[in-house]
Amino acid sequence: MGREKEKEKLSEKALNLLRSRLSDPNFIFRPLSDSPDSNYSKLKFIISTSVTEACNNSILLLGPRGSGKVAVLELVLSDLLQQYPEAISVIRLNGLLHSDDNCALKEIARQLCMEHQLLFSKVASFDDNSQFMIAMLRECGLAHKTIIFVLDEFDFFAQGKQRLLYSLLDAMQSVNSQAVVIGVSCRLDVDQLLEKRVRSRFSHRKLLFLSPSKEDTERFIEHILSLPMDSSLPHNYTAEFNGRLKKLLSDERFKELIDTYLSFNFTIGHLVRFLFQAVSYMDLSAGFLSLGNFKTALSSNQRQPKLECIRDCSVLELYMMVCMKRLEVKEQASYNFYSVMTEYKSIHDSFQTSDYYAANVCLRAFEHLLQCQLISFIDNKGHNQSVEFRPVKLLISSAELHQGLKSYQQCPAILLKLMDR
Amino acid sequence: MATEESPQVTRRATRSYSASNTAIESTNPPESYKPTINDLGFRQQPLRLEDLFSSFPGRRSQILELLRLLGPLNSPMFPILVYGGPSTGKTSVTLQVFRHLNRPFIYSSCITCYSPRILFESILNQLFHRKDSGHSYSSLKRCERPSDFVNYLREALENVITNLKGNSGKVSSKMSGRPDGTMVYLVFDNLECVRDWDKSSTILPFLFNLNDILKMPEVGLIFISNTSPDTYYLNIGYAEPIPLYFPDYTEDDLRHIFMANQTNSRLYASFLDVVLRPFCRVTRQVDELAAAFSSLFKKYSEPLSDKEVAPNEEMKRRLFSHIRPHIASALNETFQVRSQPLLKAETNQETKKTNSSRMPGVREDFDKIDFHMSTSAKYLLISAFLASRNPATLDASLFDSTGVSDSHKRKRKASEKSMDQKEMAEQELLMKGPGTFPLERLLAIFQCITSLAEDSLDEEESHELTVEGGSRGLMSDVLLQLSSLCNANFIIKGGSCPLEGSTRYRTAVSEDLALKVARSLKFPLSKYLYRR
Repeated sequence: MGREKEKEKLSEKALNLLRSRLSDPNFIFRPLSDSPDSNYSKLKFIISTSVTEACNNSILLLGPRGSGKVAVLELVLSDLLQQYPEAISVIRLNGLLHSDDNCALKEIARQLCMEHQLLFSKVASFDDNSQFMIAMLRECGLAHKTIIFVLDEFDFFAQGKQRLLYSLLDAMQSVNSQAVVIGVSCRLDVDQLLEKRVRSRFSHRKLLFLSPSKEDTERFIEHILSLPMDSSLPHNYTAEFNGRLKKLLSDERFKELIDTYLSFNFTIGHLVRFLFQAVSYMDLSAGFLSLGNFKTALSSNQRQPKLECIRDCSVLELYMMVCMKRLEVKEQASYNFYSVMTEYKSIHDSFQTSDYYAANVCLRAFEHLLQCQLISFIDNKGHNQSVEFRPVKLLISSAELHQGLKSYQQCPAILLKLMDR
Repeated sequence: MATEESPQVTRRATRSYSASNTAIESTNPPESYKPTINDLGFRQQPLRLEDLFSSFPGRRSQILELLRLLGPLNSPMFPILVYGGPSTGKTSVTLQVFRHLNRPFIYSSCITCYSPRILFESILNQLFHRKDSGHSYSSLKRCERPSDFVNYLREALENVITNLKGNSGKVSSKMSGRPDGTMVYLVFDNLECVRDWDKSSTILPFLFNLNDILKMPEVGLIFISNTSPDTYYLNIGYAEPIPLYFPDYTEDDLRHIFMANQTNSRLYASFLDVVLRPFCRVTRQVDELAAAFSSLFKKYSEPLSDKEVAPNEEMKRRLFSHIRPHIASALNETFQVRSQPLLKAETNQETKKTNSSRMPGVREDFDKIDFHMSTSAKYLLISAFLASRNPATLDASLFDSTGVSDSHKRKRKASEKSMDQKEMAEQELLMKGPGTFPLERLLAIFQCITSLAEDSLDEEESHELTVEGGSRGLMSDVLLQLSSLCNANFIIKGGSCPLEGSTRYRTAVSEDLALKVARSLKFPLSKYLYRR
């Protein structure tokens, strides 16, 4: 009994270790950035030259979500902060939060004040803040301190009038300032969104973040999931864990599994999330990762939500959907609840089904379908009409409906017959 | 604004004033309540795992998966999206899991917090920003924009986490009722309501990306939603949370759920054998079934004198034949709350009709409407219904001075083409729904109808005073009645006509209800309805 508890404690510790590793972007992207021609080294080179040579620079980091753009950037910045502690200050903005110019300048002023231990006034106006920013840029330039602006979700800043971008880039053109503007975005064509005057001030440097190759991926998985030898866990447990892991990774079925997952979601971020799920399913009493964990994680990611919804429907709701499908087949352009009810009635008359219910029960089933988003209103503006009269449309294709009916337990045979016609 | 007063009120005061004063003083805490860390945990008795499983039948695998994804103590996590149909137990399972784990969490529902500002402020208030002693109901920091929210949230969370880290070194938390661990979890419930907000295109990606924006590994996010993840796809991408699906209950699970806490389990089991399957064909949601079953079970156990007895086969058959006619009618009902006079009337009728056999499905209160309306409101409702149903050009002929319509005109033999046209016209009527009418037309029809009613009243009775009082009474508060009918959703106020600029109204009652109302007034509605 005691040994089992001990084993569980050990596996809990190992689980904790793996989970914290997988949630830490620094740990994930460091090994991928070791080679000299990686994005990490290029970025580091660009920023460090602009710091040492006291020039202005701008760069865009592009790549799909989860490819590690911000993570690599943070790695570079932390390394540079260690190298040149007094010469860099970082301002971070996010397009989701600060796309409004007032908001953005306020945030810039607030972060500048925090860095340099100045008092920040919340009621400063837009002009005050922008003057403050320009003054700080000049002062920092004279003191040979580089300000690095990190603009996350850059495409949001490119909406509207782009005042912030223009003022930033314009301020950088003056002789005294030393600033680097780094834009991070998931849209690969984000520089096409920039206005002409902004684009002319922007250097067209782009760093593309692509997913690593297959061998790199395999090496990465092994590196991430192996327990380190020098941790606080006992040596024999770690050795056995790593040994089993190696065997698992070389298994053909595992490789197939990873390939299937990566063919849908190919970025490192997605892979890490998948590994996190698999690791969480680890059986604590056994203490080792098994193929079953990965299989469960894969199946939970391969859900088909609409089919699940259909499986959750009651028989009456299935009837209503089949009626709507038949109305569509009859090429009736739009239909609402009452036309569905007439179709339902005609089916009942011709086939004498046992499932004939009153209008209010059918209306409740109709509203349930609306809630699950299996059907929806055609336009959102008809709020002054009651639910029964607004036209609706099916959000599910006929093939999916057919598949759902086939997999439904105790589906009335009549429905399948009606669908086949 | 000090609400503190010295308890010794010595000046003269009226009795009610001093009574209300003491009431205020007794409920006012001596100083403003300072929320502490312990408020972040579930402050009830901690729950064991087996109790958790037994209180949620059929949810064992979902509970296990949620526990695994949350992980052991102080382990960071990825955001989770819990989704499933309504009343499948998502919120209750999540909250009870936190009670079992005894970890600090903050819960906010997007139904009660119906705008971004209220959502942000509710979360910040729960992270105990100190509230002013005077304004104990208003939040201290006004937070409307996501950027402010992130800054305040980061500050508050860092505060909380340092507190938790300090506490974790001390006495074991089971003794002192403190929550475990150094992680804080944010639970967002009813996420599908955010889709209908005005700012949903920025708020939804903000919420889903909150994990990346905060970059704090000690914070865990859990989203609960009624709709599946594919309904949240927007143009802007976001890091998808890990999905956790709660399927609807199967019939066996429903049986387990309904059997819990029943005094006479054998009787209830035989009841469920009879009703569960037919009702499951209509709906499988627990709340709707529970409402239907509670009234039906009362009827089922009516013939039994002793409610504690366990039924044998013969008794089961008898009970089944007793309940069978009621099942069919109950299947065609949605939630029904009976008003009191109707219940009494029903019991009277029941005692009268013990011997006669009743046709299944026919209800005695077919003619009665089960809510109370004043006479003028009923006339107004009928006039609204007529105004919506009939085209405006017909008003003159229908409501001429004699008040009698002659829609029983020459009946022409329907030709093939006119039958088709009729069908198409009916289709159109179905599709378009009731038409709109301006206020003046409604009032004109109302006046015609009520004058008609007065005439008939005149013929029937020869009383004087009620008539003249009646006519003035019927016309006096028509506009007031109209607005209360609008509020009750019998009449919908539509958009304004672009040419005239006056608002138009539309009726929202079904033909059945209008017929019932007309019947209660003895008004010949069918004579006035335009049938093509």
